[in-house]
Amino acid sequence: MHGIEPGQRTGRTAARRRLLTGLAFLSPWLVGLSAFTLLPVALSLYYSFCDYSLVQRPVWVGLDNYRDLLGDPVFWQALRNTLHYAAMAIPAGMGVSLGLALLLNARAPGQAAFRTIIFLPSLVPVVASAMVWLWLLNADAGLVNSLLRMAGLDGPGWLIDTRWALPSLALMSLWGVGNTVVIYLAGLQDVPAELYEAAAIDGAGAARRLWHVTLPAISPVIFFNLIMAIIGTLQVFATPFIMTGGGPARATYFYSMYLYDNAFSYLKMGYASAMAWILLVVIVVLTALAFWSSKRWVHYQGR
Amino acid sequence: MKHAKTAILGAMILAAAALLAVGPRGGRGVPPGCVVVDYWEKWTGTEAAQMKQIVDDFNNSVGRDRHIHVRYLSMSSVNQKTLVATAAGVPPDVAGLWDNQVPQFAAMDAVEPLDALAAAHGITEATYKPVYWRGCTYRGKLYALISTPAAAVLHYNLRIFREEAAALRRAGCDPDRPPRTIDELDRYSRALDRFDPADPKRLLRAGQLPTEPGWFLIHICYWFGGRLYDEQRGRFTLTDPNVVRAYEWVADYSRRLGQGAVSNFRSGFGTFNSTQNAFLTGAVAMELQGPWMANYIDHLKPEMSGLLTDQEKRSPPPPRLRSGPYEWAAAPFPSAEPGKPDVAFCGFDVLMIPAGARHKAEAFEFMAYVNRQEVMEKLCSLHSKNSPLRRVSAAFVRDHPNPYIGVFERLSGGANAVTVPRCPILPELGDEMNVVAQRVSLLKQTPHEALREAQQRLQAKLERFNARHGK
Repeated sequence: MHGIEPGQRTGRTAARRRLLTGLAFLSPWLVGLSAFTLLPVALSLYYSFCDYSLVQRPVWVGLDNYRDLLGDPVFWQALRNTLHYAAMAIPAGMGVSLGLALLLNARAPGQAAFRTIIFLPSLVPVVASAMVWLWLLNADAGLVNSLLRMAGLDGPGWLIDTRWALPSLALMSLWGVGNTVVIYLAGLQDVPAELYEAAAIDGAGAARRLWHVTLPAISPVIFFNLIMAIIGTLQVFATPFIMTGGGPARATYFYSMYLYDNAFSYLKMGYASAMAWILLVVIVVLTALAFWSSKRWVHYQGR
Repeated sequence: MKHAKTAILGAMILAAAALLAVGPRGGRGVPPGCVVVDYWEKWTGTEAAQMKQIVDDFNNSVGRDRHIHVRYLSMSSVNQKTLVATAAGVPPDVAGLWDNQVPQFAAMDAVEPLDALAAAHGITEATYKPVYWRGCTYRGKLYALISTPAAAVLHYNLRIFREEAAALRRAGCDPDRPPRTIDELDRYSRALDRFDPADPKRLLRAGQLPTEPGWFLIHICYWFGGRLYDEQRGRFTLTDPNVVRAYEWVADYSRRLGQGAVSNFRSGFGTFNSTQNAFLTGAVAMELQGPWMANYIDHLKPEMSGLLTDQEKRSPPPPRLRSGPYEWAAAPFPSAEPGKPDVAFCGFDVLMIPAGARHKAEAFEFMAYVNRQEVMEKLCSLHSKNSPLRRVSAAFVRDHPNPYIGVFERLSGGANAVTVPRCPILPELGDEMNVVAQRVSLLKQTPHEALREAQQRLQAKLERFNARHGK
């Protein structure tokens, strides 16, 4: 007799009931994810092959949107601006946040207060901080140029000069490094103290301990922050939208701003969807490159 | 424990029941048996409150008689929200949008044609000043009615003209009148420019700057006899010599004053709706502005509009009853074309019925009410704007908060009044022209280069649009 034993049957019924109960509890999330994330993502892929204005039925145009994008100089300028900004903001943000985390990790009086101060700007709404920075970087009456004038220097037209506008936004992005600093701090506090003790016994100074102990030990955290920075900077939108509107003369016109304009100002939702998918490909390629390179410099404990 | 759980559950059920019974209601304040017309409008703050007065007037008169109740909702980004709601099949019945959405939304079938409804209410081409009627149509069909219109004219600071009378006379200008030609405007401007004696690169005051406030810079070619779009041929005309000439004029100001000096000078200006507005502070002596400027001056710098006492400042009387003199005036912006005076760019706000609206007839009832002469004059007086209607009462002009409203009325009703082109990709044209204006004023490109590039990009986009939409 190879049939199912009564005990086995009871066990399977219980397991099925547990599964159904679990799914029932998960269902609000599953429904939400399907309706508000998976379905829109799938539809945006379909629309990227359509001419679609939101109010008319989508019309299939094949690869036309992608072909048009390749010949669109504004698309290339927006992409160039975004990559240029990322090339400045990512290394600067990674370096400054790591440096601050190292300083905040040192045992010093007022450590908690300094940590709070560094984190505080991250709590300020983007709109508020953008308005503050607009005035700080004002060419005529801004605090930054006033200080430079006191030092006998002529400050640039930070946000109104096509050469300075993009670096100014990259500089301003450092204002919000508090979140990254907190993640680095958590990583730094996980580095085993015995590694430092062993290095010190071997005669390693502070710089060598940083290079040979600290950085390898927190390399998974650096890697995580790098991936998040790549994703975040390539999607930058709110700050330039508020501060420069993409100007002067499209010097700070980012990819996501052109995507938004196509979707909601020009009513070219298909074109905007194609842009979104190209951005996804760019992010995936850069993230894959980071993963590929990580084999050489990221060290996981226990491996 | 069991009792505690039951008590908590009971309390929650009771709270939910109470909320259902006495909580907020979408239909609160709607008289029974009325059709509710949802009206979304772009205005916020004072202008929103003023439009609400008109909505209340309607609900208490025509609406009450015809069982229509207009539910007014003021919001930002109303064009995008209207579009998303239209796509979702739940649009408002009336949407308060901008002039450049008329051809764009009409070309996409996002709004309802209104010809039949307008004819039934006796609203015809003869009702409006020609420029505004033209602005409400696309390919021969009516898609919008005006809520409030405007015209852009030269505003100039009388105090500065008075104080600099000697300098103006030395430059061959008459300080007792505004400039009448572009050449004169440039001469007046040069005579009023002031640099910091300690720093000759630091501009302290500009007679006039094409980029301040710069809102009409994309339309500046109209004063030079140019146009951006040939509606008959469906082609952009950005490289037309008169358009190029207009932007050469813009570039000349940057060259003469110094591009860096102008940029730094402008970055010190406050926002339009602030006491640091460049015209109010006297940082610029002349600028191209709309009729609403009178309201802003009344509120932000009342002394400039003859409001001297606290009582006057709290509740401004009509201009003729004010205790002090006006320190500013308005006149036609000079034309570069000999023999073509009184050129004015006329923009406007519109009321449209989105495609798929549920109560079209009732919605148009409200739109037609807004376009009655007495109602339109009340709204335009509140907003300090001219009227879009051909017929204007003497009381409207006499009691209007803008003492120069006659100038706006004359120019908007004249033969040289122009409005936004009937182009289906108008927002793209606006953005491209803004970039042209920036590149030219920053001296990054010659006007011809910038316009040629914009022409190529826009024409390609238009042809693609036409090919896809079968136009």
